[in-house]
Amino acid sequence: MSGSGDPGAAPRVVVVGMGSEYRRDDGAGVAVAEEVARTCPHVTRLGPIGEPLDLLGLWDGADLAVVADAVRSGAEPGTVQLIELSEAAGTGQGSVGPPGTTSTHGIGLTGVLRLARAVGSAPRRVVVVGIEGSEFGNGVGLSPAVERAVPHAVGHVRDLVDPAG
Amino acid sequence: MTHGSGSHRTIAVEGLSRVEGEGSLRVDVRDGVVEDVALTIFEPPRFFEALLQGRAAAEAPDITARICGICPVAYQMSACAAVEDAVGVRVGHRVTALRRLLYCGEWIQSHALHIYLLHAPDFLGCADAVELAERDRAAVQRGLDLKKTGNLVMETVGGRAVHPVNVKVGGFYRAPDPADVAALAGPLERARDAALATVSWVAGFDFPDVEGEYRFVALRGDGRYPMESGRVTSSDGLDVTAGGFADRVVEEHVARSTALHARLDGRLEYLTGPLARYALNADQLPEVARRAAADAGLGPVCTNPFRSIVVRAVELVAACAEALRLVLAYEPPDPPAAPVGWRAGVGTGATEAPRGLLFHRYGLDDAGLITSARIVPPTSQNQLTIEADLRRVAQAGLALPDDQLTWRCEQAVRNHDPCISCAAHFLDVTVVHR
Repeated sequence: MSGSGDPGAAPRVVVVGMGSEYRRDDGAGVAVAEEVARTCPHVTRLGPIGEPLDLLGLWDGADLAVVADAVRSGAEPGTVQLIELSEAAGTGQGSVGPPGTTSTHGIGLTGVLRLARAVGSAPRRVVVVGIEGSEFGNGVGLSPAVERAVPHAVGHVRDLVDPAG
Repeated sequence: MTHGSGSHRTIAVEGLSRVEGEGSLRVDVRDGVVEDVALTIFEPPRFFEALLQGRAAAEAPDITARICGICPVAYQMSACAAVEDAVGVRVGHRVTALRRLLYCGEWIQSHALHIYLLHAPDFLGCADAVELAERDRAAVQRGLDLKKTGNLVMETVGGRAVHPVNVKVGGFYRAPDPADVAALAGPLERARDAALATVSWVAGFDFPDVEGEYRFVALRGDGRYPMESGRVTSSDGLDVTAGGFADRVVEEHVARSTALHARLDGRLEYLTGPLARYALNADQLPEVARRAAADAGLGPVCTNPFRSIVVRAVELVAACAEALRLVLAYEPPDPPAAPVGWRAGVGTGATEAPRGLLFHRYGLDDAGLITSARIVPPTSQNQLTIEADLRRVAQAGLALPDDQLTWRCEQAVRNHDPCISCAAHFLDVTVVHR
């Protein structure tokens, strides 16, 4: 069972599985976070989280938040990208789309980070580990290219949360 | 975006901001009269209805909880109620009380999120909650603290702050430890006070002078404000069981939307949600919430949809007060769940999600496998009424410039907190070359 534990003592490292396993490749982030949590007991897994706003109050004060999420950038399906969100959110013109582009959720991930910063509760560092998806229709199961990319993405997350390991 | 000239004017918004999920709206005006309005939404329950067929009914609470990231408890509660109705299980009052406490947690976090981060910016001239936080950090902090308390209740009772895992047909997998439940009292007292401050805050906003004509439909609580159970009642005299209500709701496909539009008896549009609950149950609010409503100037019925933010704030007070009462009276259910014997049957469950009535109906075979599933969320029930609101608001605001009229129309949709959720959650990435 995962969770934020005592919200007064926020975890230092959180790994967020963003997305829905019922929207095909949108479940890539959830699959990555589950695998990381299984093999890295010192990290706290959050998710599956579908609404970025849900992160408020759950990731507060973390030193590092790694958000595993499906992305759509035009790259080959299965491509894994690392995006330092902290810098992007700070300038308001970074490489990840503006608030709201996360499929018109209430507020997108960058917007949520800006909001968290405005009230002083943001994680010190936020890194998105993005897996390029291609199938986002209703249904379960990752497409083959995304399925093959999951171990690579897990490796990237492990490098981030446990650089010495 | 708006375009058009002369006697023909179109207001079109492709991606509705600050609405959970995806949606778009279009208003057509000809010769100074609103000719057509269309709220286009993408709705996921149809997929889940198909997915559930052949699955064990015991899985329904967990599977349907994944329909909505904001109100998973509502789906769990309606699913449990429907399955229990189908197999004839009656749960004890301790299980009911614990379910209600869990539901309070969801109401607190969902209402706090909508009031502070999605709705309040409309009234304060802010583009979004980020701008609001930059202008009034204390207010947004209060909203986030409230949300956090809701999350804490959900985590303590449901095992997790998002997508609770402790709920099962018949009750819970495990009764929370009394010490953990007792520890919620302090945060809930502070949350109740913050909720009272919320009512004062939103009551001071400026509201457009618009009155709707609504057929309200809500559960009627049995001595308490409705959440996890009750008969379905309406402002024009309906009073039926959940099953009786499901029999009378007819849904129709509309080409522009994956959502079904619900009508009562196949012809009447109706509204569920805070305005409806309040109109039909104001007398059942906890005393502290009733006083807050009176102080905010709410009469026994509120028909200005923009004032729904005040009603939602009153419900926030009610949820905090009710959660506190339940925490102080907590007795662990033992066993934590009623035994369930599977048998063939059909059952319906209706509960009050934060944004309105949510009902499920399942047919089961004698092994407890689902043979049919029907899930009717609040948004499909409210859709026709939201469009009627849009027509009214657009007509009243025709003198406004396009950008302000567009803004007003978006507000008219957000007034009802529609859950247009479960779009895919991928990030659209754009690389900026400099």
